[in-house]
Amino acid sequence: MTDVLVILFGVSLLAASTTNMLGKLIRILAVQGVILFLLTMSNITEFNWVQLAFVALETLVFKAVLIPYLLSDMIRRNNIVREVEPKVSNFFSLFTMTLIFAFGFLMGLWSGKNSPNVHPLLFGIAFSSILKGLFIIITNKKLITHLMGYLILENGIFLLSLAASREMPYIVSLGVSLDILLSILVAGLFINKIKSTFDEEDIDTLSDLKD
Amino acid sequence: MPIILIIPVLFTIIAWWMRKPMLNNTLMILHALIHIAMVPVLYFMPDFPWPIRYFTIDALGIFFYLILSVLYLATALYGVGFLKHPGRSHHTLTATSTMMFVFSMDGAFFADNLGLLWVFIETTTLASALLINYDQTRHSLEASWKYIFICSIGIALAFVGILLLFVAMPPESSLTFAWLVEHAGELSPFWLKISFVFLLIGFGTKLGLAPVHAWLPDAHSEAPAPVSALLSGALLNTALVPILRTMPVMQAAELLPMARNLLLLMGLLSVFIAAVFIVRIHNYKRILAYSSIENMGIVAIALGVGGMALNAMFIHLLGHSMIKGAFFLITGNVLRLYGSKDYREVKGLLERDSRTGWLWLAAFLLLSALPPSPLFFSEFQLALGMVGSGLVWQLALLLVLLTVVVYGMARVSMSMTMGRDNAERKITLPVYQWIIPALLLTAGIAALFMPGFLRNLIEQSVKMIGG
Repeated sequence: MTDVLVILFGVSLLAASTTNMLGKLIRILAVQGVILFLLTMSNITEFNWVQLAFVALETLVFKAVLIPYLLSDMIRRNNIVREVEPKVSNFFSLFTMTLIFAFGFLMGLWSGKNSPNVHPLLFGIAFSSILKGLFIIITNKKLITHLMGYLILENGIFLLSLAASREMPYIVSLGVSLDILLSILVAGLFINKIKSTFDEEDIDTLSDLKD
Repeated sequence: MPIILIIPVLFTIIAWWMRKPMLNNTLMILHALIHIAMVPVLYFMPDFPWPIRYFTIDALGIFFYLILSVLYLATALYGVGFLKHPGRSHHTLTATSTMMFVFSMDGAFFADNLGLLWVFIETTTLASALLINYDQTRHSLEASWKYIFICSIGIALAFVGILLLFVAMPPESSLTFAWLVEHAGELSPFWLKISFVFLLIGFGTKLGLAPVHAWLPDAHSEAPAPVSALLSGALLNTALVPILRTMPVMQAAELLPMARNLLLLMGLLSVFIAAVFIVRIHNYKRILAYSSIENMGIVAIALGVGGMALNAMFIHLLGHSMIKGAFFLITGNVLRLYGSKDYREVKGLLERDSRTGWLWLAAFLLLSALPPSPLFFSEFQLALGMVGSGLVWQLALLLVLLTVVVYGMARVSMSMTMGRDNAERKITLPVYQWIIPALLLTAGIAALFMPGFLRNLIEQSVKMIGG
C-alpha cells in the first residue's frame, strides 16, 4: 500500500514536468496533499483521534484544500497568464526529472544500507521531490511558479519526515505547518503588491538591486 | 519566561484591535522596557514565575537576550519619532510586526529543542518581511520578496538537516539539545555529518554567510534605519543560536574537526566576498550590510578555531551588535539630511550636521576595530587563537582581507564626512537622533569593562559550546 502511494507521488512529480498550465500544477499540488494524507494514515500503527485530526489538518486541510485555493485565488485576482512559461523546454525538464529520480534512488539505496530505520523508496522519492522543487525554482521566471516549486519542496520534506519514521512532537509539527501556511499568505500578499507595482510578475523585473 | 512570551502576544492583539498610533507606540516602548527589565529576572530567577516546557533558560540564551533588549529599546525609541507612517493601518502593521519579530527571536534564544528553534527562526522571517517593505517602493518590495523567498528555502534545507538527524538517531530519542549531547555517541556519524552540512547551509543562509548571503545586502539596505539596526544587530545573532547549540553535539560525537573546517571555510569566504564588494559599491547602507557579512564571517571563523577564540567570538558578537546597530541608526540621520543612499552625493557631513558627522566617524573607527573598540580585543584574541591552532596562513589571508575592508570603509567615510557642504537649507535633527546612537556606541565600549555578570554569562556560554 505504502509503495503504491509513494510511486503515485513520483508519477505526480513526472506530471509536473510535462504540464504547461498553472492550473494543472495547482491540481497536482492538491493531489499530492491527498497522497500525503493517505500515506501518513497507512503508516500509523495505533489509532488515536488527536493524531488523526492533526494529520488531517496538516495534509487534507492545509495542503490539499487551503493552499491550492489560495494559489488559484492569487492567479485569478492578478490576471496572471495561465501558462507556466519556463526557461527550459518540457523535454529538458522531463529528462532532468529522470536524472533526479535516478539520483534519488541511489540516495535511497545508499540510505537503506547505512541505516536500518529508513524506508529506501520513500527516502528516494522524498529527495527527488526536494530536488524537483529546487529545479522548478531555478528554471522558472514567474513568481507564482516559484511559490509552487517551494511547495513541492515542502511536500518532499514532509515525505522525508515519513521516511525517517519518527514522530515529531506535536508542537513542532503544528508550528511547521502554520509557518508554511503563513509564508504562503505573506508571499501571496507580496505577489499582489508586486503585480500592482510592476504590472507584471516575472522575476526579470525584480533585478534592480544588485552590485 | 512565560512573561516574555505572553506580553508581546497580548500587546499585538491589543494593538491590532485598537489600531491607534499613540497606543501602538506606547505598547511598543512598554514592551521594550519590560523586555530589558526581564534581564535581571532571567539571570537571578530563571524559573520566575514558573518554568515552562520546551524552554530552558541558560547563559547562552540570556547573553543574546541581553543584546536584543538593549537594541530593541534603542530602536523602538528612535523609531517612534523617526518613522513617518502614511496611515493608521500601516502604523499598526509595523508595530505588531516589530513585536512579533522580537517575540520570535526571544523564543529562539531559549528553545531547548531543535525543532521548536526552527519554528521560531522561520517566524522571524515572516515577521520581519513586512518590516523590510516599510517604504513600499519598488526596491523595498523586491528586497522583501528576495528576503522571504531565499530565507524560506534556506530554512527549509535546515529542516531537511533536522530530519536527517532523526535518521541518525536510535529509536526512543528526542530532539532536545540536552538529549542530543548526552547520546551523541549513539548517533550514526555518517548521517550526523550530512545533517550538520544541511543545518549549516540552512541557518547560514539566515546568518548571511557566503555563498548563501544573497538576500542580506538588499534587505539591510532597503529597510528603514531602525529595522536595519535590528536585522543586523539581533536577527543575525538569532540565526547563530542553532549552530552554536549543535556544536557540543558535534563535539560529543567526535566530529568537531569537520564542523570547524566547514565554519572556517564559510567564514573566510564571507570575509572575502565582503572585501571584494565593499571597495566597489556606492550605496553606503549596502556597504554596512557587507560589513555585517564580514563580521559574521569573523564570528564563523572564531567558532571554527575554537578554544580561546570562543571567548573572542562572544565579545565580537556583543560589540558588533551595539556598533552596527548604532551605525545603521546614524544612516537614518544621513538619509534624512541628504535624501540619498549614494555616498557620492553626501558631502561635508561634518559641516551640515556636525553631531551626525562625528558619530559617523566614531562608529567607523569602532567598527574598524581600533581601540577602545571591543572588536579590537576580540580580533586580537582571535588572531592569537589562530596562531595557537597553527592556522597561520589563514590568519594572514584574514588580515589582508580585513585591511581591504577597512580601506573601503575609510574611503567612503572620509569622502562623506569631509569636504564643503554647499546646501543653503539647514535641517536640524531632533536630539534623540544623535543621543540614541551615541548611547549605543558608549554601551559597546562600556561592554569592554565587563561587568561581573556579563563576564559570567560569557564564561558559561563558552563552557556550554565546548570551549
